[in-house]
Amino acid sequence: MLVVTAAGGPRIAALNEAAEAAGLSPGEPLADARAKAGDLQVRAVDQAADDLALRRLALWATRYTPTASPWNAENGADGFFLDIEGAAHLFGGEEKLLADLSSRLEDFGLPARFAVADTPGAAWALSRFHPAPCVVLPAGEEARALTPLPIEALRLSPETCTTLRRLGFKSVGLLLDKPRAPFAARFPAELLRRVDQALGRLDEPLVPIVAPPVYHSLCYLLEPIITQEAVIALASRLMHTLVHVLTRDDVGARGLRLCLYRVDGAVETIDIGLTLPTRNVAHVVRLIDLKLDALAAMQEAGFGFEAIGLAVTRAEPIPARQNELIEDAGDAGRTERCAALIDTLRGRLGPQSVRRFTAIASHLPERAEALAPVTDETPAPWPEQETEKPCPLLILPRAEPTEVTALVPDGPPRRFRWRGVTYDIADAQGPERIASEWWRNRSGHQPSQPTRDYYLVEDEDGRRFWLYREGLYGRETAAARWFVHGLFA
Amino acid sequence: MAPPTALTAIRNRAAVAAELRLLLPKIQSLRSTNAIPFGVAAIDHYLPQGGLPGGGLHEFVPEAGASPAAFGFIVALLARLPQPHPLFLILPTYGMRDFGRPYGHGLSALGLDPRRLILVVTAHRKETLWAIEEALHSGAPAAVAGAIDKLDLKSSQRLQLAAADAGLPLLLLRTALDLESSAAATRWRIGARQAARDRFGLFARPRWHLQLERCHNGRPGEWLVEYDHVAHRFSLAAALADHALSRSAGEIPLRQARRS
Repeated sequence: MLVVTAAGGPRIAALNEAAEAAGLSPGEPLADARAKAGDLQVRAVDQAADDLALRRLALWATRYTPTASPWNAENGADGFFLDIEGAAHLFGGEEKLLADLSSRLEDFGLPARFAVADTPGAAWALSRFHPAPCVVLPAGEEARALTPLPIEALRLSPETCTTLRRLGFKSVGLLLDKPRAPFAARFPAELLRRVDQALGRLDEPLVPIVAPPVYHSLCYLLEPIITQEAVIALASRLMHTLVHVLTRDDVGARGLRLCLYRVDGAVETIDIGLTLPTRNVAHVVRLIDLKLDALAAMQEAGFGFEAIGLAVTRAEPIPARQNELIEDAGDAGRTERCAALIDTLRGRLGPQSVRRFTAIASHLPERAEALAPVTDETPAPWPEQETEKPCPLLILPRAEPTEVTALVPDGPPRRFRWRGVTYDIADAQGPERIASEWWRNRSGHQPSQPTRDYYLVEDEDGRRFWLYREGLYGRETAAARWFVHGLFA
Repeated sequence: MAPPTALTAIRNRAAVAAELRLLLPKIQSLRSTNAIPFGVAAIDHYLPQGGLPGGGLHEFVPEAGASPAAFGFIVALLARLPQPHPLFLILPTYGMRDFGRPYGHGLSALGLDPRRLILVVTAHRKETLWAIEEALHSGAPAAVAGAIDKLDLKSSQRLQLAAADAGLPLLLLRTALDLESSAAATRWRIGARQAARDRFGLFARPRWHLQLERCHNGRPGEWLVEYDHVAHRFSLAAALADHALSRSAGEIPLRQARRS
């Protein structure tokens, strides 16, 4: 027996058959239950685990249709909606789909109730309150089917239900006959909204568990497959079918998702991003192969995968052209190959590993640019250097402290020691003074960064370094600290 | 190809030579590949192909403490490539920790547009090798550059083959001190030298001491070059930091070591 903590002490949330036989029912206070039956095994409800299990089940159900939406708390959080419009015929009709679904759920050891209706509200009501465990409602029959059901079938809050029952509205039918205006005046807007949603007068959008794909292709297997080669072969077949649709609509895939449905109900999802929209089967299959190499999905295949789905999550137009004529000729092919290369590198090395320089308007050298992951093909223009000021070829991730000997405290350095080596400076240029960005610290309480004096120094062997002295001598600090910040060619 | 008839019958010297030349397509293609010239007659004439072979592995080994200089030399070579295609630079993360990461404004100061460069960060040597080979096989970039510490003979053969097949230059910065023998087309040892000054006494053009240590079909050599980032031009520098002297010294290598 599971209990949930509520106002007025713990109450029963769920119980097994033995407890039901003892005359207990959900919602009863635990104290009363203990009085009725002495030897109760009581555990607390783990709501988070329940939600997770429901989510997993809804993910599994995307094998039937891409739009699966698990119920939130106001729907009872114990089931999910499937939008099977346009998907049912793949299974030979709604009844056949339901039969398949129920037999599979039974195999998992999950008793379930099903209803198919034109509106989520009606389906919800029928699945909960209809005597049959499996109902398929013909179109336009919502009002008739809902009439005999109790008022709770409208997914109302408990307070509204209590008030309605007190007024004598025990079934939905009684409510439907009455004029709407008095209800609108006396009840929360929820009541009429739920009625309209159940009858299809008001749209109720489902929140899908995963973003619905633009194009989708799914393959059911008679025998589960385990090996990576088999998955690759199937993925290639699915991509071939997708390419026809993509070509028809003059679009290419920018994002793809491969779903592997395991026999035991778990789902492995692999997301693939592409730099340029593509319809190239070999390229996509190669990326999938790389991802499978990296992921441990194949090691956890268990008893194998019984269904595989490939979905295009992002599609972008690519103009139609004749591949055969301009293969390897001109720039277009090269740009495409470059994008393919970036995809491949990202697939194996991770999305953060392929980067490009982007300039940022800042005087502080370490802020003046960023290495951003490559996103699209048009890099932002690089600012022209206005003056011939020295810029190091390599910049250290953090400026490293160094011991410097200088003739005067605010003069150029003469000798410095860095990473255990002493360098005698033959020539120094500078200083280039870079003040802190005072506008960044206007609201903050931390003191602004001290001013830096940068020197470009060359040692006797021709190595060039970028040193800076932190703090203006005498004004900001008494003992200036020195740092190595960059290296020159 | 038809068998050379001139070898069997009447010996016409010109005809025989022409037929023999037909038999040697490889050398012909070797000469005419897309070599990357330095633009310095002394170096280009010294190299068997009139420049760095366009499809091949080139190793750049820094002298002690001259890794930034060697990297700068590679950047200068990349900046001189005329093709507009992107350049792939493959660097391991540990290398970036030691020497810092490439700085876009600094690349721009050496004449290389940072937008052309795509930086690939790898976690270990295996990934680096894989990424380099991928980039070469794709044939998309104008050139591939990278840094690697250890490279055994077999890996270097793979890279050399991949670069030759793709017809792309692969410029590798070798950061390890002990070097195994490799199948690279050329190996250069790069040393830093005091930069050339402009007329105000400011650092103007970086200078490198180049030692061609090994060269396929060629001889080792040694030069002192400087690089003008505005004109993307290499030129020979005199050993003395005197402008008048360096002009008169012209384009003569400092010393040409001959190995039989």
